[in-house]
Amino acid sequence: MSAVMSNPLFREPLSIAGATREIEFRDAVREAMCEEMRRDKRVYLLGEEVAQYDGAYKVSKGMLAEFGAGRVVDTPISESGFSGMAIGSAMLGLRPIVEFMSWSFALVAADPILNNAPKMLYMSGGQFGCPIVFRGNDGAGGQLGSTHSWSVEGLFSNVPGVKIVIPSTPADAKGLMKTAIRDDDPVFFMESERLLSMKGHVPEAEYLIPFGHAAIRRAGKDCTLCSWGRPVHFCMEAAEILAKEGIDCEVIDLRTIRPLDLPTVIASVRKTSAAVVVDQSWSFASPGSELAAQIHRHCFDDLDNFVHRVHSDDVPTPYAVALEQEYLPNVRKICEAVRSATYRA
Amino acid sequence: MPIELTMPRLSDTMEAGTVVRWNVKEGDAVKSGAVVADIETDKATMEMPCFDDGRIAVILVESGKQVKVGTPIAVVALEGEDLASVKANARHAGAAVAGVSGAVAAPAVVPVAAVQSTVVASVQTETSHGMEEFGATTARMRVSPVARRMAEDAGIDVSKVVGTGPAGRVIKRDVELALAQAQSNRASSTVAPGASATIVTGSAMRVSTNAAPTSFAPLALTLRGRDVALSNMRQTIARRLVESKTTIPHYQVTMKFSMDALLAMRKSFNEKLAASGIKLSVNDFLVRACALAMAEHPYFNASFAGDSIRIHEQVNIGVAISLPQERGGGLVVGVITDADHKSLRQLSSDARTLAEKARTKGLSMQEMSDATFTISNLGMFGVEHFTAIINPPNSAILACGAAIEQPVVRKGVLCVGTEMQVTLSLDHRVIDGAMAAEYLRTLKEFIEEPETLVV
Amino acid sequence: MSQVAPPAVPTAGAGALSLPVSPTTALQWLRDMHLIREFEVRCMQSYQEKKIGGFCHVYIGQEAVAVGCVAAMRPEDPIVTAYRDHGHALARGMTSRACMAEMYGRVDGCAKGKGGSMHMFDRPNNLFGGHGIVGAQTPLGVGLAFATKYEDEVINGGKSRRVSLSFLGDGAVNQGSFYEAMNLSGLLDLPVIFIIENNGYSMGTAIQRGTTMSHDLCIKGRAHGLREATIDGMDVLSVYRDMKALVEWCRENSRPAIVDMKCYRFKGHSMSDPRKYRTREEEAHHESNDPIITLEHTLTHAGVLDEAKLAAMLKLVREEVREAIAFANASEVTPETELYKDVFVEPWGKYTGSSLPEFMGGATNACTFRATDGKEGLV
Repeated sequence: MSAVMSNPLFREPLSIAGATREIEFRDAVREAMCEEMRRDKRVYLLGEEVAQYDGAYKVSKGMLAEFGAGRVVDTPISESGFSGMAIGSAMLGLRPIVEFMSWSFALVAADPILNNAPKMLYMSGGQFGCPIVFRGNDGAGGQLGSTHSWSVEGLFSNVPGVKIVIPSTPADAKGLMKTAIRDDDPVFFMESERLLSMKGHVPEAEYLIPFGHAAIRRAGKDCTLCSWGRPVHFCMEAAEILAKEGIDCEVIDLRTIRPLDLPTVIASVRKTSAAVVVDQSWSFASPGSELAAQIHRHCFDDLDNFVHRVHSDDVPTPYAVALEQEYLPNVRKICEAVRSATYRA
Repeated sequence: MPIELTMPRLSDTMEAGTVVRWNVKEGDAVKSGAVVADIETDKATMEMPCFDDGRIAVILVESGKQVKVGTPIAVVALEGEDLASVKANARHAGAAVAGVSGAVAAPAVVPVAAVQSTVVASVQTETSHGMEEFGATTARMRVSPVARRMAEDAGIDVSKVVGTGPAGRVIKRDVELALAQAQSNRASSTVAPGASATIVTGSAMRVSTNAAPTSFAPLALTLRGRDVALSNMRQTIARRLVESKTTIPHYQVTMKFSMDALLAMRKSFNEKLAASGIKLSVNDFLVRACALAMAEHPYFNASFAGDSIRIHEQVNIGVAISLPQERGGGLVVGVITDADHKSLRQLSSDARTLAEKARTKGLSMQEMSDATFTISNLGMFGVEHFTAIINPPNSAILACGAAIEQPVVRKGVLCVGTEMQVTLSLDHRVIDGAMAAEYLRTLKEFIEEPETLVV
Repeated sequence: MSQVAPPAVPTAGAGALSLPVSPTTALQWLRDMHLIREFEVRCMQSYQEKKIGGFCHVYIGQEAVAVGCVAAMRPEDPIVTAYRDHGHALARGMTSRACMAEMYGRVDGCAKGKGGSMHMFDRPNNLFGGHGIVGAQTPLGVGLAFATKYEDEVINGGKSRRVSLSFLGDGAVNQGSFYEAMNLSGLLDLPVIFIIENNGYSMGTAIQRGTTMSHDLCIKGRAHGLREATIDGMDVLSVYRDMKALVEWCRENSRPAIVDMKCYRFKGHSMSDPRKYRTREEEAHHESNDPIITLEHTLTHAGVLDEAKLAAMLKLVREEVREAIAFANASEVTPETELYKDVFVEPWGKYTGSSLPEFMGGATNACTFRATDGKEGLV
């Protein structure tokens, strides 16, 4: 896996004062987990290969050594079982972090994570909640084929009661993970295998990033690009290309899709009159379709064109490298959508 | 659901098409694949097939008429559908179409690229505009929400604004342009002839090049200087000339005239007329020559009007007049009406009066209106050659340099002659290169054999 | 399939000779079983009167299981169960008012009318639900055991001291989640007991038609190293005695166990079940082994119950349930504002920094049903 270097297109300095250092995305996630586990004994990590193996993607490297087998718990390949177990423990007030080696594997745990975790508080009339974090790799990892390349937010964001975090940078990953662990509600935290090696500046000092606060990665006046997770990087690239054509894009990184920072999106679209939503999941009944609907609703009289959407193509994820590249929401597709949305096509 | 047949895009560059002939009439049964009409595109006459089985309920566009691509031209009732009610509904919708296309005179309103985004390419990325994927089924006027709101806020009748979006949708930039024009028209009625060049014309011309002169390189704010507020005239000049230069396909044709004969004649005339206070200028001869040449070259006295070329009956020659700094500088175009019917003496008098009035009291609206051709002359400054920007809605402008003594070869002998360079700027939509050359040749004959100007 | 045995029919009065508990406690069990029975009968009635909607699965016939198991536990031991959960809720101490109001979908229900028949939750009494998806609660039960053990050992640095009960029906033993749950409990040494309430039918499918080796469901746990017990679920004294021993063993050893709890469901799977899959003779046979009658016999023989005492008990039970129905009827229909509450503890991800989740600590998210007497839950 080739290392993804820190993205120079991100100009927005993190609003945390003080010194920073460059670390990988995976390190940022680990730092968040370790800091919270040091701080709070109710926090523990479990999942496949998280302990002795140091994590299938080395996110939990060294954690067994620091926290011991009582708090960094290896599980069998048994997603339904260990997800349910973690939920049960959260009902009693623990704060589990459940690692799915891939969110694609969470499908066999659909009942516990969708039917139990997000509904517990409601069904019990507020008596039992579920302060739990499910995290792992989401989206196409790189030629993993159809079964391992799910962007599960397309399915899971449909469910009320879950919070869905999809960070795009190491700094965001750390700040959002800490918030996720402290949150009293179930949080689905979606990393990307393709971003784990990406380096970025992360503050030395402790910080948390609240949910539902989008980051404007690039200010612009002609078109609003909304995305989250890995495709944010594609948006930034596209914005550079489009700038040379005289189209000035504003790139909004939603960071969390539940809750969704609509005020930031709406303010931007009211300014630009044009919006393109870039979403790695499939288009039908997706976070992208939801966001588009919300923009249409709140910005109806501000729009100069319908909200354009860029998704993964409506086919199973192909294996062949060229096909996969074409399948994903890529820079070319984003550029085309923006040109069309701004009538510059 | 009855099927609407719309003007098909039958060539890659086709923006509008003409129904040459209907092969069916209302009530006829049609089968999928049948050729229902012959359509003249910008390139050829093509067959228009029908894709459904049914009966022609109504024909919305008569043969001989040109409409934009995507405009409904007929409706097919499918099996089991009532012909009469389909027809009634379609007629109702068609009325709306007519209403719109009345305003949308220009055929060039669908940006080609928007139409080109095909269904296949757009499934995932939605770069199409939604309508072409499922057929343009609605005939109602299309206005983007923000355009509608902006127009409402500004009190602009949106139905008067030409849409440059897909299928003629009025979009933000159209309203912005209309707004700017409305404001300029209100604010400065001092300048150009044809200031009444309507919003419609302006927008339509814009679209044909799809230029959007809205973004400028940012000023270097570190440079020191002072800002001078734009006068109304300066605003109008800025707007109209940008519009002209960016929407009219300009090109230039230059020719040299030998001025010896004309200058000699002018000298002799002026000597004779000195007593009556008349002094003919070279420009007066040029006005006369240009005006007379129109009889042979009517397209130089014409305007591009979207779906047609208007050839004017009157020959009104505009003369660019620069204004002194004490009057704010700038320039206006004074108009000598019916220039082809006026004598040199009369022309000279008119020109002098206009110039004086422009530089002192300012010209009335009438004195600046309805030029059909314009002459700009910088010869008095010693300028040898320059090009001018067409003054809409003219189709051409003549830029004249100075008459300069220079070595010339006459019948193989090197000698000194006086020559003047003129450069025509032309609207290629109206005038082709060869036409321009012929016009210049006519001018050359008039100028080099100046007696023809007098008779 | 040839070895498959019919549902067990234990001998009436087994364990009658010696009461393992005080007469007062035994009488309390009888009262609890009667309460459940009366409650369920009235639920059936209310269902037919359309006061109760949705699905309704009654516990009639299985009362000894919930009452005996709960009696064998400590109050701090968590339990979780499936959708036939009214009996567990009442046995665990939920008031009949809160339970009935929940059935009625009223604001005074244990979950403010948002859970319903299949989803009875009671935090003060450590009942972690009623769960509607067959088998889904079994990993949750493992998680409860994980949490108690973690709290006791990792957080407090002591010895694991609580046991979790995870009830399931015999239909759930064919769900994958159950096997995953058992495997995890064995791997992680978790003190959880899987109590299979084996009433012989998963809905309309007789156990031998859906489950291999159905004559002994403990076999299902053997592969995971679980301790086993087969218990006569139609006799509350047996349930108590055997469960008590098992619970204490699990507590002491921090290990999981599986119980094949033989019992019988007197009524249909739900209110709409015509019970065509079994004969009336079979039902009559089992009804002759009514756990309530069995206990009454035992207590009468032991001299702690007579007809007058029983009549008085029944009168009180009926009055309580009647009052619970009146209470439920009078309770406000859950207001629409509740519709949007309890989806999130804090929708925008407020982080308090507190270790203990807000729903565990403060009164705001604790059990909110109204107290009507000293015994009832939090206010």
